Amino acid sequence: MDWIAGMWAVFRKDLRVELRTRYALNSLLLFVLGSLLLVLFAVGPQPLTARVQSALLWIVMLFAASIGLGRSFVAEQEQGTVLLLQLNTRPSMVFAGKLLFNLLTVGLLTGLAAGAFLFLLNVEVPAPGLLGLALALGAVGLAGATTLLAALVARAARKGPLLPVLLLPLLIPLLVAGTSATRKALAGLPWIQAQDELLTLIGFAGATISASVVLFDYIWHE
Amino acid sequence: MEIRIFVLLPLREYCTMPVASPVVNPRLYRLVRAAVILVLTGVIVAGLLGEIPQLDILEQSARNLYFHVPMWFTLMVATIISAYHSVRYLRSGDRMRDIRAREAAWLALLFGLLGIVTGMVWARFTWYVSSGQWWNFDPKQSMAAVLLLIYGAYFVLRDSIEDPDTKGRIAAVYNLFAVATMPFLLYIIPRQLPSLHPGGEGNPAFSQTDLAPAMRWIFYPSVLGFIGLFWLLYTQRVRLAWVQEQLRDEPEL
Repeated sequence: MDWIAGMWAVFRKDLRVELRTRYALNSLLLFVLGSLLLVLFAVGPQPLTARVQSALLWIVMLFAASIGLGRSFVAEQEQGTVLLLQLNTRPSMVFAGKLLFNLLTVGLLTGLAAGAFLFLLNVEVPAPGLLGLALALGAVGLAGATTLLAALVARAARKGPLLPVLLLPLLIPLLVAGTSATRKALAGLPWIQAQDELLTLIGFAGATISASVVLFDYIWHE
Repeated sequence: MEIRIFVLLPLREYCTMPVASPVVNPRLYRLVRAAVILVLTGVIVAGLLGEIPQLDILEQSARNLYFHVPMWFTLMVATIISAYHSVRYLRSGDRMRDIRAREAAWLALLFGLLGIVTGMVWARFTWYVSSGQWWNFDPKQSMAAVLLLIYGAYFVLRDSIEDPDTKGRIAAVYNLFAVATMPFLLYIIPRQLPSLHPGGEGNPAFSQTDLAPAMRWIFYPSVLGFIGLFWLLYTQRVRLAWVQEQLRDEPEL
């Protein structure tokens, strides 16, 4: 119980700090909308195939996540609150709380990106359940991979575009399985046809989160 | 009142003597070097001049098997060694482990690049003679390129941190985190997509029928020879890095 309370406290703290300024959420929101509009202008009015649509949607999502999610640990470093957290909580609580917060952020981001995308490009979805599940599993994998790497990047002296450089090659499996499942959902194929992709997404989320749990201690301790 | 006692030590105690490198046993090194020279010379001569089965499409390009495939075996060995030393570094904090992980990663990058280049040449003159295409979306080829990107990112991450201990720890964590996603990159995703390589669509990567008996006599020594070559380069680079480290700590040496 103690552990869950600690995790919840870290999550609540992050949420409260975020709601004070809404800096991360608003910038992420505008980034997603801006890049979607760019896509819209770049492809023009002709209808796109399901393959191109799913590819564009996932690319916008991955780039938004790789730019927006680095904040969580960098902010702690900048405000000098790392020591406070290290003294008062166990590393796994910090990791779980941050993961939960990132999960919420990625969930909002994914929902917004997918909704705006479907609305702007006027896409019909014959299998909404499959699309929702593929995006949800993709969001979990994305949050799992990003949380640990954000903690890594916060330790680096020269940050710059470090998070996307570290993150994007690791996300290729997620991208391949996610776009494939999304394409099948947009083409209206039955669930059983997307079985491989969904299992890969579950496996990727599981592998990244378990590896993060094991490795996080080594980053967090000085 | 404070009393200070000065003890005079013999002069040689003051300047640290250069220690023999702990990296490798020199006799073992010379033995492996001789074996690698012999085996790889044999592989190059026999590989280019020996008998191979005449198959359609492949024809003489089948000889590339002796050079392209061992690169991937070596890459795998280098990846495993790098990950192993990263784990040991996180456990012990021994600088030597970090050096070993770094040098193995560097050689993984080198052998991966060679594997991609040999594979590209092979595909160009086997499958794309008519179109003249050099790069094709083959899942294994593209995933190998991603693997190189990951190791590239590993070195960028190393360069972004100043303090050697933090650098070693953070780089080791990234290395191991990347290893956790590698099964997807190398085994799961490539088998879900159609591929030119053997082992597409769920088959094992290398089956009995893919390799003619006569070719085994060159192929297996070639694999061992290139892994041996990797070991030689690896120990040399680790020794060099160790010496540089000593010099940085003790500039008078």
